[in-house]
Amino acid sequence: MAAKNSSADEAAGEAFLITRIFDAPRDLLWKVWTQGEHLGKWFSPKGFKILAAKMDFRVGGIYHYGLETPDGKPMWGKWEFREIAAPERIVLIQCFSDEKGGITRHPMAPDWPQFTLSTMTFIAQGNKTKFTLTWVPYKATEVERKTFDAGRAGMETGWGGTMEQLLAYLAKLQS
Amino acid sequence: MSPDRLSTTFAALADPTRRAILARLASGETSVMKLAEPFEMSLPAVSRHLKVLEHAGLIARGREAQWRPCRLKATPLKGIADWVEHYRRFWEESFDRLDDYLKELQRKEKPHGRKK
Repeated sequence: MAAKNSSADEAAGEAFLITRIFDAPRDLLWKVWTQGEHLGKWFSPKGFKILAAKMDFRVGGIYHYGLETPDGKPMWGKWEFREIAAPERIVLIQCFSDEKGGITRHPMAPDWPQFTLSTMTFIAQGNKTKFTLTWVPYKATEVERKTFDAGRAGMETGWGGTMEQLLAYLAKLQS
Repeated sequence: MSPDRLSTTFAALADPTRRAILARLASGETSVMKLAEPFEMSLPAVSRHLKVLEHAGLIARGREAQWRPCRLKATPLKGIADWVEHYRRFWEESFDRLDDYLKELQRKEKPHGRKK
């Protein structure tokens, strides 16, 4: 599941990797990822409200978005585009922000990396598209990298099954 | 859970040995000696890991001088589990929404449902 970071900087650790095949041609997938009016229609989990989706899609440009969690908490974030190679690849720096676009820290985990670097690739497979997202800490301190690594391990494997065992254990305690 | 608490828990979980220790404790309380068995490290090294876990509130240790049993403490783990689950769901549910959205768009593009 995990991919080695391609940079020589081993200390940056392993990347968090997500792959998904979408049943749509690449040009369409590219469009829905890069145009604010499309992103604003789908980029949020179930039960979240989309508050804002402001897109300036160019190298150096910003996508600024706002979501509201099901329990009514606002959540703002920013992407700054570093590389755009239509319709194949986007590299961006991601951070949490406030409503005005000021940079903030993760609201629940202050040691989470302030900046992360995401690389999105779009590979055409006939009428389908394979989408890959790799996610690494960017200009992170050692503490931030370790925090990311703990989170990454949990997200990908549930810490090698630990999470399932723990949840079963918690259920037992509560019964 | 407070942000500081979550950070301490994350730091404790950042080490694979400590994650393995927690996984072992999920099947029941046990002694330091028993815990150390599967790891190729000295007892003091294992004890150091246990101290980090104890400081993070992830485990508790009994007072019995002889075998000081270690056991899991659930609360901080619940916070972490929720946090990880939040991230996983963020992507999975966004992508599910994108699947539906793509279908909707493609229906609109081909109103007669005909293929070339």
